Amino acid sequence: MSFKYPVVMPKMSMTMETGELINFHVAVGDHVKSGDVLFEVMTDKIDMEVEAPADGVIEALVANPGDVVEIGKPVLIMLTETEVMAFDFGTDGEPVAAVEVVTAPAPVVAAAPVVVAPIILNETVKAVPKARVEAANRGIDLRTVRATGPDRTITMEDVNGAQLDPAIAKRQAANKALIAKGIEITRSIAQASFTRSVNANFDHATFIAAWAKVLRNRPDLAAHEHVGVALIIESKYGSALPVFRDPDQVKIADLTALVASTTDAAKNGKVPVAMLSGATTTVFDLTTYSMSSATPLLFPNQVTSVTIGYESATTKIVSLTIDLNFCDFYDGALLLDALVASL
Amino acid sequence: MLTMAEAVREAMSIAFDERPEVFLLGEDVGIYGGAFGVSGDMYHRYGAERVLDTPIAELGIVGAAVGAALSGMRPIVEIQFSDFTAQAMDQIANQAAKIHFMLGGALHVPMVLRTPQGSGTGAAAQHSQNLEPWFASVPGLKVVVPSNPADAKGLLLSAIDDPNPVIFLEHKLLYKIPGRDPVPEGATRIPLGVSKVVREGKDLTIVATGIMVNKSWEVAEKLAAEGISITLIDPRTISPLDMGPVFESVEKTGRLMVVQEGPAQAGFINEVIAQMAGSSSFGSLIAPIKRLAGMNIPIPYAPQLEKAAVPQIDDIEAAAREIVKNWR
Repeated sequence: MSFKYPVVMPKMSMTMETGELINFHVAVGDHVKSGDVLFEVMTDKIDMEVEAPADGVIEALVANPGDVVEIGKPVLIMLTETEVMAFDFGTDGEPVAAVEVVTAPAPVVAAAPVVVAPIILNETVKAVPKARVEAANRGIDLRTVRATGPDRTITMEDVNGAQLDPAIAKRQAANKALIAKGIEITRSIAQASFTRSVNANFDHATFIAAWAKVLRNRPDLAAHEHVGVALIIESKYGSALPVFRDPDQVKIADLTALVASTTDAAKNGKVPVAMLSGATTTVFDLTTYSMSSATPLLFPNQVTSVTIGYESATTKIVSLTIDLNFCDFYDGALLLDALVASL
Repeated sequence: MLTMAEAVREAMSIAFDERPEVFLLGEDVGIYGGAFGVSGDMYHRYGAERVLDTPIAELGIVGAAVGAALSGMRPIVEIQFSDFTAQAMDQIANQAAKIHFMLGGALHVPMVLRTPQGSGTGAAAQHSQNLEPWFASVPGLKVVVPSNPADAKGLLLSAIDDPNPVIFLEHKLLYKIPGRDPVPEGATRIPLGVSKVVREGKDLTIVATGIMVNKSWEVAEKLAAEGISITLIDPRTISPLDMGPVFESVEKTGRLMVVQEGPAQAGFINEVIAQMAGSSSFGSLIAPIKRLAGMNIPIPYAPQLEKAAVPQIDDIEAAAREIVKNWR
């Protein structure tokens, strides 16, 4: 399977904010090898050739020679068979992690239909102010709404007509009344957290698989046809969130190996692009910090998140946060019960 | 039904009767009755002591009024065309507006400066300007822009009562027109700094000043027959500006259009847009804010071009239709 990969204006110095595109060395349709020069860039300090990060085909030239392009904005788009680092953890003071090829991990599920990982360019959505308010209140991702207004702007009609999963819509209607009854809404998200102590030892793979299995019985809370568990991995580059798709349907030995190799890669600032999207829930292990619990903000389009906290050498604390727009307290308690029981 | 010129004259006459310290001064306000006939017979009713014909010297006229106001009088100045206030701007912006503050509040300048403004008379660029933003951008001045005879009377009475200098901008084309509402008898005041909701609708909020209130009203009336209902708000006092009813209305309609006669660039009406954009009502908008204003050109002499240089009823109607149709 091939990925669309945007080659962006690189940051070549601490002070650089934009670069001028001098010329292209390639044209649309050209086959390039990793390391081939794609285009030349001029800044106030340096002229540099930008090379292909992987083998592939040039799909589109986004910028024009002479354009001043902001760093991080795409200059051209290539199609590549190789899974490529799709983000850049570089921070001030650290060497900038160049875009580089990483070895693709073994495929997780052979039988499942392949879902093409969407590549998110710096996509901006135009919407009237009230449409944004409404979308936030109803948990609608505006990127999924078709714009019919002037200049491809999302209107209220567009948002009102946006299709929700019927199961979710039913839940929302039921819970709207509950929220209206006085649950304080912070940042438009009403959420609740539940905590249980667990007398068990488990590794990340076991936990992720158990949680996915629990969620599989509640497709209305996953909002997708698969269960994607994002595991937050902290590194010196920042947080990485590799997503493990349907981990409950993989042999536990394979999953254990995949979690281990992905964790190692993420700590070095590398996550395969296929693992960067498709999350439907998030897991955050706090035991590294000897913390017992936290209430993480729910990620957009996710209804649940779970933390693993430290209690003692033999016990851990599992906390579940839910979005009350989609499920209620009873749901939350059941979910956490089921999760703890399966550990 | 009184016209606006008659309503202004009535308000001045009431103030003359109520307070001996009120007097009128300006070019041709006496024997001639005013360039637009606003003071009319007041010279004959109140005499040359209280209705003063002055030389053609605007700086001197306003300077004399500021001095009189400081010493306990309540002068009403008439400047023949608002364009000529440029001659008197030091007295208006630096003296009248500031003296109270420069003297630690010890003195007041209870002066009203009335002046006709606007285009549509074929008088070309030096006699046709709309200078609302000049005055609205000077702290220390209050600025009133009446759109009809009833408001003009009540607002002028409050302006004369006010201890601060008040600029009272009357549109020439409104002088001879009776209002939709009758002018109340007696000395009823309309407070300064209170916007008026002229009519209420659910599809679009229009904020307009002066003559544009009347043009917008015509449009609202016409579109109502087609099922588009419009809220029309007349701020009446543009400084201080009362935005409360505008926010309230936009929260219901979700659409805002603003209309002014003066040039778009740096116009007063932009203040309405800015305050809306920075308010908590911003999230109620379901359409981009639409601005209709004059072109950024001196008012042309040729009648067709003069008309084209400022928003007309057809322009307002087309814009209102479009915003309601395109943004749902």
